[in-house]
Order: sequence, then C-alpha cells, then structure tokens
Amino acid sequence: MGKSKDMQELTNLMTKALRHKIGSIVNKDEFYANKYAKDAEVIMKEAEKVLLKQNWNNYDKPKIKEQLKIKLHKELKQKDFLDNRKFDIMGEEIDKALKEFNLD
Amino acid sequence: MLVKFSKTVSKGGRFNQIYIPKNMENLIEVGDEVEVRLIKKQISLFYSKNLKKLSQFKENLIKDIFSFLNENSDINYIFIVGSFLTEKIGYNDIDVVAITDKKSENLEEAAYNKLIEKFNLKFHVLAIEENRFWHLLKSCPLTMAMFSSFICSKPIKISDERVIDKKHIRFLLMMPYDLLEIKLNSRSFFDSLRRLATIERFLKNKSLEMNAINDELKTSINDLLYKKIKNNEEIDKSSIEILRKIIKLKLNIIEKLIRNGKEQGYAGTD
Repeated sequence: MGKSKDMQELTNLMTKALRHKIGSIVNKDEFYANKYAKDAEVIMKEAEKVLLKQNWNNYDKPKIKEQLKIKLHKELKQKDFLDNRKFDIMGEEIDKALKEFNLD
Repeated sequence: MLVKFSKTVSKGGRFNQIYIPKNMENLIEVGDEVEVRLIKKQISLFYSKNLKKLSQFKENLIKDIFSFLNENSDINYIFIVGSFLTEKIGYNDIDVVAITDKKSENLEEAAYNKLIEKFNLKFHVLAIEENRFWHLLKSCPLTMAMFSSFICSKPIKISDERVIDKKHIRFLLMMPYDLLEIKLNSRSFFDSLRRLATIERFLKNKSLEMNAINDELKTSINDLLYKKIKNNEEIDKSSIEILRKIIKLKLNIIEKLIRNGKEQGYAGTD
C-alpha cells in the first residue's frame, strides 16, 4: 500500500479511536465509560500497526494532523448523542494522540 | 467498675433485643445505665431470583468482601455480578459494583487497590451513584443484563421495567458500526455481537440472562468460530465477512426497533 493510502487508513483509525475516547470522556456518567475507553485503545493499537508501516517525515505530519482534524470534526458532528463538550476537548485529544505516535 | 459481655442481637416481638447473661444479673440491674456498641456487623447475602446457590467457599468469600467494603460509609449497596456467580471455575475476575450516595471519583480505584491487597485475587470494581444506577437499570441493556444475576449486601428489588433511551443505545452501537469498516482483533467481534444480542433482546422485551444471550449467539455462529472469537484467536477474511453480515443484520433489526419505539418509550414485544 502507498504512503498516501496508509495515511488515509491511519487517520481513519485514529478518528474512530478518538471518537470512542472523547465519547468516554464526555459521557463520563456512563456506567461503562471505562469499557468504552478500552474500545478506543483497541482501535488505537490497530492504528499503531499502520503507523509502523511507513517512515513519516515532517511534510507528512501536518497533513496527518489536518486530515485527522477534518475527519474527527465530521464524525463528532454526526454523533449527536455525544455531549457537545466533545468539540471543546477535540483539539487537546488530537494533540495527545499525535504526540503518542511521535507525529507532533 | 467495668462490666462487659458480648452477645448477639436477637429478634423480639416489637424490638430487637439483647439479654443480660444470667450470671451477670447482679452486676447489671434494672435502672443501671449501659452502652451498646456494634462490634461486628452480621453479613447476609441476598440472591437475585434465578441465581443458583453458590458453594460455601464462594459465599464466605463474598461475605468477607461485603464486610470489608461495608466499612466505607459512602457505599449503600454492594453487588457481586458476572461470571464469578455463573461459572464454577471458568470466571475471569470478581466483578464488584458499589452503589454510592454521591459521586466519588476515587472510590473505584481505592476499593480496587484495597481488595487486591486484602484478598490477593483479581477484581473488577465499578462504582455508581444511586440515582444514576436506578435510571440505567431501566434504560441500559448492558446494565440490565449485568444485573440479571447478582448477590447483594442488602435486600433489593430490581424491576423489569424497560425504557428506551435512543441516545444511549446509539452510543452503545458505535463499536458494532465501526466493525463493519475496520478490522480489529476477533474478541472485539465477539463483544460487539454479544452487545447487539443484548440490545435486541432488550428492545424485544426478552430475558437478558447471560446464558440466554450466549445461547442466542451460539445459534447464529458455528461452534468453531464462536470459540475462536471468544478466545480472541486469529480468524480469516471469510469469517470476518460472515461476522460482518450478522452484525449488519442485527444493526438493521435494532435500528428498526428503535425507530418504532418512542423516544424514552417502553420496550415492546415482537
């Protein structure tokens, strides 16, 4: 798979993982909040496999961030059952995830 | 002069009572002032209606757990749920649910650490505020399934009333929808299929007992695949396609059931 396709796959997976993570934070009262946080971890592990396929350079990193921002915003907008605080923490969670993957 | 004796409180006609031992009747007499102090709280176990009696060993362990956690005055009810009650030996951990008066951020972690320290066993601890608990027992299929079998520290009646909270159910459906697009470990498919079976049964007002849910799952997947995904073993592409078809089918049924149910309405039958 080419770098561009891997980037798409990486940002798709990260988007879904972050949506679960943000859901578990904003719906903190949920009994199963920790379980949903684990859902996020499982998807993030899958994203990590894609991450390791390529050597991401300083030109790729801002592109990944931009794609992630657009995709995650769209995903969160669609999920109207998640509390609106989701948009307040979106940026922070993106930064944390990128840092974890050394993509910041 | 300090006169002391220990007795068990007994049930009286109008009041619970403590008798003064015969050999002390001249030491503690009518009109004397005494102080009564609780030394050890008696622990009883309250079973949910369909749960079979556990072994003496498991009962004693649960009593010790209740007695240990009862020291925390913020906890109103303590529940043991999950596979520890239903599996003879094949349980993963001991699921403890603490129902609290008010929201407590650290209770789960503190109770978990103390339990591990005291009993050296694998625990999973959940804490939830009482008001929220009663709400989830009506509206959350997963919570309802979790409490289909339990042992509680106090007598409790759990109603079978079901209320459809569309937002909550959509929240629960996020992962099954994701699995139509992304490939994760096989256990994720198992968990999602079980989640879907639970939600569908909730919406159809069917029993949410774990055995009924697992039996339903076994009828839709062949034995080998069921075992593989339960044990998180590697599965091939064609198996993933089979699982995705079942997920899609179940999602369609659930979406239809949600559409037909009113917002915050009651779950119905087929």
